[in-house]
This record gives sequence, structure tokens and C-alpha cells, in this order.
Amino acid sequence: MKAKIISLFIGLAVLWCALALRAAYLQFLPHEKLNALQARQFQTVVTLPSRRGNILDTKGKDLAMSLPAYSVYADPKVIEDKKIFSKTVSQILGQPISNISKKIVDSKKRFVWLDRLVNSSTADKLKEQNIKGLGFVEEWKRVYPNDRMLSSILGFIGKEGQGLEGVELFFDKDLKGESKKVSLRKDARGRPLVQDGTVFTETPQGKEIQLTIDSDLQYFVETELLQALKKYEAEAAYAVVLDAKTSAIRAIASLPDFDLNHPEKSNSLYRRNRAVTDTYEPGSTVKTFILAEALEKKIYEANSKIFCENGKFKIGKRVIREAEKDHAQGLITVSEILAYSSNIGTSKVALKLGDQALRSALLRFGFGQKIGLDLPGEAKGIILGLPWRDHLLANISFGQGMTASPLQIANAYAAIANGGILNKPYIVQSLNDIELNQKYENSPKEIRRVLSEETSQKMRMMLSGVTSGKGTGLAARVPGYIVGGKTGTAQKVKPNGRGYIQSGYISSFTGFIPANDPQYVIYVALDYPKKGYYGSVVAAPLFSSIASYAVRKDGVAPEILTEKDLTQVPRAQSEVNQKKMNTYYLAELKNEKQILTAAPDLKKLSVREVLEKVQQQDIKIKFIGQGQVSKTWPEAGEALNQGRQMTIFLQE
Amino acid sequence: MNSFVYQEDIQRLKPFMSVFFIISTLFSLVFLKMEERRMSYVVLKQTREYKKAAEIQKQKEIQLAKLLRPQFIETIAKEKFTLKRATAAQIIHLNPNTTVSYLKSATTPAEKSN
Repeated sequence: MKAKIISLFIGLAVLWCALALRAAYLQFLPHEKLNALQARQFQTVVTLPSRRGNILDTKGKDLAMSLPAYSVYADPKVIEDKKIFSKTVSQILGQPISNISKKIVDSKKRFVWLDRLVNSSTADKLKEQNIKGLGFVEEWKRVYPNDRMLSSILGFIGKEGQGLEGVELFFDKDLKGESKKVSLRKDARGRPLVQDGTVFTETPQGKEIQLTIDSDLQYFVETELLQALKKYEAEAAYAVVLDAKTSAIRAIASLPDFDLNHPEKSNSLYRRNRAVTDTYEPGSTVKTFILAEALEKKIYEANSKIFCENGKFKIGKRVIREAEKDHAQGLITVSEILAYSSNIGTSKVALKLGDQALRSALLRFGFGQKIGLDLPGEAKGIILGLPWRDHLLANISFGQGMTASPLQIANAYAAIANGGILNKPYIVQSLNDIELNQKYENSPKEIRRVLSEETSQKMRMMLSGVTSGKGTGLAARVPGYIVGGKTGTAQKVKPNGRGYIQSGYISSFTGFIPANDPQYVIYVALDYPKKGYYGSVVAAPLFSSIASYAVRKDGVAPEILTEKDLTQVPRAQSEVNQKKMNTYYLAELKNEKQILTAAPDLKKLSVREVLEKVQQQDIKIKFIGQGQVSKTWPEAGEALNQGRQMTIFLQE
Repeated sequence: MNSFVYQEDIQRLKPFMSVFFIISTLFSLVFLKMEERRMSYVVLKQTREYKKAAEIQKQKEIQLAKLLRPQFIETIAKEKFTLKRATAAQIIHLNPNTTVSYLKSATTPAEKSN
């Protein structure tokens, strides 16, 4: 009996040992399959979507932001009652019942989206219902607080969070960041067991992008552009505002635009940034570069005289004419050619330069090639290959037979404004990696010197002549500042590329302010305006208002203009033309009046009216009180004292 | 004598003490494990609350950005304060030698003489 007990005990002991050994084997020796099984049972992988980086303007104002949102999906296979499911879900999501029931009709499917990027309150309502077969995916929704502003520049993203246009597309990888996967233990109900809460709170995020855009200036530009678009019934309008020194883009707009928060509702044509992606024949704005090259090569001087054939210039079988019959000129200087925008004068200069020199000059100024802007879809423009026949050479000299984008034109003018250096235009000021706490600053990049300092200074003087005297850009003037620039009235090419549209023009003005020390280069254009088409009539006033706002916003002090500051636009025009043109008087610009020796009569005037009346007098004014002028010391007609002081008493 | 008895008691109690020690250790381990689990649920709850707060903050930031947009400010200025858009004519260019000072109120020479 004892032996039986012992053998039973030994048998059991062996069995237990075998069991223990097996347990130890399973527990301690690595086993891939078992490890995977264990991981599936106790581990859960949580994917933390990366928050798309914000886009800011130059002053740190938010232009694009990301808000947490939830995408709702269903697993039709596990839905118990499809009718109740559809009814409940559709009520909360605000969709028709049929919409939901259609999506979940196929019970074989294990995943179907019900709605994308719903807000958290809607998601919470759905979660409260505790519906079987309903799931949520945490995502980030892109929000553009300014709705339409900067639409073609910022671009937008798709439903999967991928950039589709503008900055969102060009910097998609940087903005997107990388989503984080966290492996955690889970309990029986699948809830993650968290030891360190920061794994959830420290969400991964993409880089933050700060643009060179000034949103206040951008808003002003867009508003002015829209008003002009409506006023002249134009098809489209473009504007580019560059920092004259660095070519940093301060504002850029192309209208019509679209609502960034609902890009799907807009015409795809309006979604691209046409100031960068589209090119057209630039018209007379190109004359500046032809004359600059002639001056640079010392073929002509600013005061060299050229005979402009009284309005008709025959090249072979073709005849070159001025834009209007009454623009016909006789012997005028190179400065006047620019000021009056003479086609014949520029053609003669171009013919003297020759096709090779002209083409290389245009290429040097950045036409016919990509400048390397940090925005997608940059257009090259067209500069035809050599040789150029004489009539083509003449056409190109006044901006026909070549194409350029608004940005290319503005940037080429910036080269003249900054002393002859062509810079690479840029829109991104800095990239901020929030996770690594590192900031990558963008700096101005010089492409090449295109003009000598001396020639660019001469060109600035000549271009300021365009907005003074009898120049074509008179309407571009900004009181208190010297403005330089050039008008452009380009014929619109037919969509098939052959010939020009009857009465179809692109009216533009490109200039800089203040001309003595340029801070801004501004390009404005109206595409196919129906009411008026000359750049001098349509685009120049638009330039004036934008330029005026830009310099005043930046606190650029106005200048009191003297004879020296103004280019002397020679008075070589015919008497008839002179009468037709608005004569521009220096005294008018300076608002010069006689210096008063006695106190003026200011009674019952407001503060504004007083200031308007004494603005050019060297008087030290002291206002006391509020309202209208009740009395002055000294009184009206009494002599001003030596210190020229006046005390003005106001009464409401 | 007493000390002998006392040592004998301890000797007798030792197995029980050992068992008690082992059991209490096991209980402590279980308790700690449960406490860890409970704490992890608390952390999870706090994390969710934190995320909710962060979400509200984000919404507020967007609201602030919408309030600060220039078009909204212009609309408010025009509609609520009946202001008009500034025009170039409103700008007065003063001669650099012209100086302007302003006092809110003062007694006029006439009042002084009175």
C-alpha cells in the first residue's frame, strides 16, 4: 500500500514538475506567437494624430488654425437595429435618415464613414447614446478665421488632411508633422491603462509657419482691389506688394477669391494664386527695363533725344503707332519716352540695343524663368528664342510678344528700387518647430546684380517723372510722397492664342514709394475692365490708395517736396497736347502759399479746418478747450509775434 | 523564567508570523496593483478633462482670431459706431515748422481778467 502511495506521489510530483517546467518554458523563453497573442490581449496601440501647424502673418496673427474634431464611422455588421441606429444618428448629425440607412445597408461591410470632422459637442451627444456599431476617429479640422482673405495664398486641405493649394500644399510635409503611435496596456473593457498622462496631452504637431504677409495691409489691398473690380467691371484683379529692399511679399491678392472654409463651393479657376501662376503680355511696364538696359550699356543717357516720328514708325511692312493718336511725339528725351510711354521711342531704343542684348536683359531681370518662390505653380512666362525680327523686337520693347507674371514684374521693379539687385521673392518668414523648440528664419536671397547703383538711381528719377509733369502716371501720386512707377495697358490675347480680343485689356501700374528711398514696390492690375482701360485711369488710382496706406501704416514720414526732388519732365510736347493734359504744378504739390505775417481769421472753424488753413505756415499753435474756435490770440489781423505763436480757444 | 516562556511563545508563533507575513505581502501586492489600476483610471480621466479644456482653449483662440480679423473690426466700426472709411482728403500735411499743442481746458485771458 505504502509503495502504491509513494509511486502515486512520485507520479504526481513528476506531472507537477512537467507542468512547472512547461509553465516556466512558456513564461521565460521568448516565443513570437505567444508574445503576439499576449500583446493582442493586454496591449492597445493608440494613434495620436499630429496637429497641423498654424500659419501666422508677420505680426503673429493667426491665419490658419487647427481645431480638434471627430469623424464618425459605423460597423454595419454589429449594428443591432438599423432603423433605430439610422434615426438616432441622423438626428444628431443633422442628416436625412435615408442618407445614413443607405450607408449601413450592407451588413458585410465592417467600416463606413457616416460624417467627417464633426465638432466635439456633436461627438459627445453621439457618445452619450452608447450606440453599438458606432465609432469615432479623432482628427484635426482646419479653420481659417479670415474666411476669404488670402484665400489663393494660404490654399486649403483635403478631407484626409493633405494640402491641396497654396502654402498648405507647398509646406504640407512641414505643416502636417508626424502622428505618434503609443503602445499601452489595456483592461478587460479595452480602456488604456495610463501611467503617464503626458502621452496623451503632449500631442504631436507640425511646424508653425510665419508668413511675411501683413494681414492689415493684405485686407486693405483686397478691399481696394474688390472696389476697383466692381467699379470698372473687370473680370479679375491682381495686386502684389513687395518689400522694396528684400522682395519679401507683404501682400498678394488675386480676385475673384473664395471662402477658405468652403473651398468645394468655389470655381477651381479662382483657387489658384493667379498673381504667381498666370502670365500675360505685360504691356508698357516692360519699357522701363528696355530703357534701363540702354542706360546701363551707356547707349543713351536720360536726356538723349530721340525722334518719335510724330506717331507713325514703319518697320518693314508693319507700322508701329502710339497708344492714341494724340500721344504722337516729335523729338523727345529718353526720360520723356518713359513718362509719355512712347511705343515708337522705346522701339527705337530696342532696335539700337539689338535682339541679343534685349533678350539677355529681360532674362537678367528674371523674366522667362522661375525665380524660385516658396509657393506652388510658379509660372515661367515666355521669352521667345532668338533671332527676333525687327518688328518682334519692337513689339517686345513695349510688352507684346512676351509674357510675365505679376510677381515677376513687381520683383523686376524691386531691383530698380533697391539699387540694382534682383532678389528672390519669398513669402515664408520663419518655420517654427514647436516640438524641438527650434526656429528657422528665412533671409533675403540675392539672385544677381542687374543694374549698377548709378543706373538704378537714374531709373528711379525717370520713373518718378512718370507720376509728375505730364507723365502718364499722374493719378498714382500720393500727396506728401514722391512716387515712381509705370503704367501698362496690355492687349488681352485671345484664348486660342492668335490675335487680341477686341477692347480687351489688362490695365496695370507698377511702382515704388517713396521714390527717394523705396520701401514698397506695388503692382496692381485689372483684367479686362469694361469701364475704362488705360492703366493711367484704371490702375494708377488703385496704386495710389494702396501706396498711401502702406507708407502711412509703416510710419514713413512724408516729405516736403522741393524742386530737387522732382524729375524735370521736359516740356517738349506739342501745345495742343499740353493743354489736354493735366498740368502739374510744383506749387500745387507743395501747397505753397504766401507766408502770413498777421494772424489769420479762424473764428468758428473746427480743429481740422484750422490745421488745413495753417498747414504750410510756420506757426506754433496751442489749442485750448474743445469744439469750434471762439477766439484767438493774437486776434485776426493782428501781427504775429516773433515766435509766431498763436493760442486758439475752442468752445463747444 | 519569564523570559524563557516568552522566547518559547515566539518560537511557537514564528510559523504563524511567517504565514502572516507572506499573506500580508501578497495582500499588499494585490492592493498596490489595484491602487495602480485605480490611479491609471484617474489619470485617464484627468487626461480626458485636460484634452477637453485644451479643446475649449483652441475654440476660444479661434473665436479671438475671428474677433480680431480686420473685416470684422471694420464692420463693427461702420455699423455700430457709424464710422466711415478714412480718405486721403482727411490727411493734413503740416509744415515741419508748424507745432501743435493741446490743452483740454484753461481759463481764457478774458476769464483771468474777470
